[in-house]
Amino acid sequence: MTISPAPEPAFESTSFAPNPHLLRIRDLLYQTAGTFHPDHRLRFLQDHCIRRMEELRITGLREYLGCLTAQHNQQTELTALLNEMIAGETCFFPNAPHLNALRNVILPRIVHEKSSLPVRRLKIWSAGCSTGEEPYSLAILLMEESKNLLADWSLEIQATDLDERSVAHARKGLYDQHATQNLTPQIRQQYFAEESGGLAISTQARSCVTIQRLNLLDDSPMSLIGDFDIIFCCNVLIYFDLAAKNRVLQQFLGSLLPNGYLFLGHTESLFGLNDGFRLVHLPSATAYRKQARVQERSHS
Amino acid sequence: MNNLSREQIFKKLESVENMPSIPATLDPLLRYLSLPVDQLETQKVVDMISHDKSLTVQCLHLANSPLFCRWQAVDSLRGAVVALGLGRMKEVALACSFMKMLPRQIGGIDPVIFWEHSLGCALVSRHLARKLSLPNAEKAYLAGLLHDFGIVANVVTLPKEFGDALTVAREREIPLHEAELEIMGITHADSGRILAERWRLAPELVAVIACHHTPELAVTDRSLVALVNIADLLCRMRNLGYGYPERRLVDLATEKGFGVLVEDCPTLGDFDWARLTFELDNYMFEVHRLVAALYRIQ
Repeated sequence: MTISPAPEPAFESTSFAPNPHLLRIRDLLYQTAGTFHPDHRLRFLQDHCIRRMEELRITGLREYLGCLTAQHNQQTELTALLNEMIAGETCFFPNAPHLNALRNVILPRIVHEKSSLPVRRLKIWSAGCSTGEEPYSLAILLMEESKNLLADWSLEIQATDLDERSVAHARKGLYDQHATQNLTPQIRQQYFAEESGGLAISTQARSCVTIQRLNLLDDSPMSLIGDFDIIFCCNVLIYFDLAAKNRVLQQFLGSLLPNGYLFLGHTESLFGLNDGFRLVHLPSATAYRKQARVQERSHS
Repeated sequence: MNNLSREQIFKKLESVENMPSIPATLDPLLRYLSLPVDQLETQKVVDMISHDKSLTVQCLHLANSPLFCRWQAVDSLRGAVVALGLGRMKEVALACSFMKMLPRQIGGIDPVIFWEHSLGCALVSRHLARKLSLPNAEKAYLAGLLHDFGIVANVVTLPKEFGDALTVAREREIPLHEAELEIMGITHADSGRILAERWRLAPELVAVIACHHTPELAVTDRSLVALVNIADLLCRMRNLGYGYPERRLVDLATEKGFGVLVEDCPTLGDFDWARLTFELDNYMFEVHRLVAALYRIQ
């Protein structure tokens, strides 16, 4: 199975002098949300800001920076901008380098490390699964790998989201053209069925996925979830403040097996947050690995 | 796969007639640029560069790239030399010599990809040196640019053996130097040392070229060697390698180069490697564009 990169918007030249207020917005987003826009993507950040500015009826980036830093409005506007930024990212196979790294590097490592265990079981948690595209993408990838590398392995994907409507959508498993734009004809034919209103995920792809509502900040049910090899938590932590981020990360540490992996959104960073996770470099991607002997202590 | 012994390979590399030499048109310029910067005359440098068409165009491209001179439009050679600075002219001339030495078709390696990796490594080395406040970031740039000098020696002197090694590296998605060692018994770091000494490159450049895959063995300029080791690794993991992905996981903190670098830079553990990694993608786009432009003029 080959995962092709999602279509990249036309690359804009970096040969323009970045607006200093835009650079401050970039830094603010990195400090507060942990998501980073490199220079060549500043034009996209500018476009997102402009859409918010149109909504707010303001004209300059300087004024918009003021909105993002104003005490009374900061969190609301930051959330609105983040929503603008990740709108359109909810689709199947959104991040080809992540999934290729999972398939080519991480899965073989896990299979190797667990090869001597009596039970061959792989558990993945899609934390903040939204409408289900991520866990079903992972399910399809694992199903494809079960023809070779993961033959005879028990595969489990636990998908959770806070929003009831998203969970209902994920359970229904019916997707529109935008969500399914990256599907190859082979994947489309094998794992989807045409239905009125879009493409429905097949029973086969659903078979290893469990979907439930969960608040990542609600400690009691979180403690029941564990023994994961991998957690995917893309574009979720960006909405949390520092204390909440640390709380969730501490829960993730408790839910992961030793040396387990955490995948975040492709420009998300845990810098300065939790030393229980260490950044690892994969081909054209990054992830975090739980330190083998990490003390699962409070990290506030 | 390989018919030559390690000793025969070394002998071949050390024989004068087989090794690439500095292009004749650039030799006088490089000699002149070896003088201290304060003794260089801008007009003389401009005149000497103007004898070489590809170097002239390369200067103009670099001067107009945001990677070097931010937001300036330059349309004359003199303007380009002034914008880039006399101190950088030696790097540009060496880079141009380097490009001229690479055959168009090298047993399986695309010179554009090779050049992109070298330029990418140069930029990341400079970026990292600045971020870590290491002295002389410009030295890091040249060291990054020339670190794979030995590949030039290998493709010119040992094309079949090197081609075999590259095929193995690509098929198994392993680091090139590991495949070279397996197939040839030596790596481009070994052949690079021989070529760099023959070209009488500065001692710190020889150290980087010879030890960038074994930074723990460097006896001089250890932090510069380690810096280029890390920059090279980051480029290869970020799609600026030798045209294929290396199927591996890299934890920088366990890398030997990191261990060496941390001795000179104790704050390294607190450095924001995630942000640096995202920033590297900038270089990827600009490097592809710049090298495509530069290669069209060769």
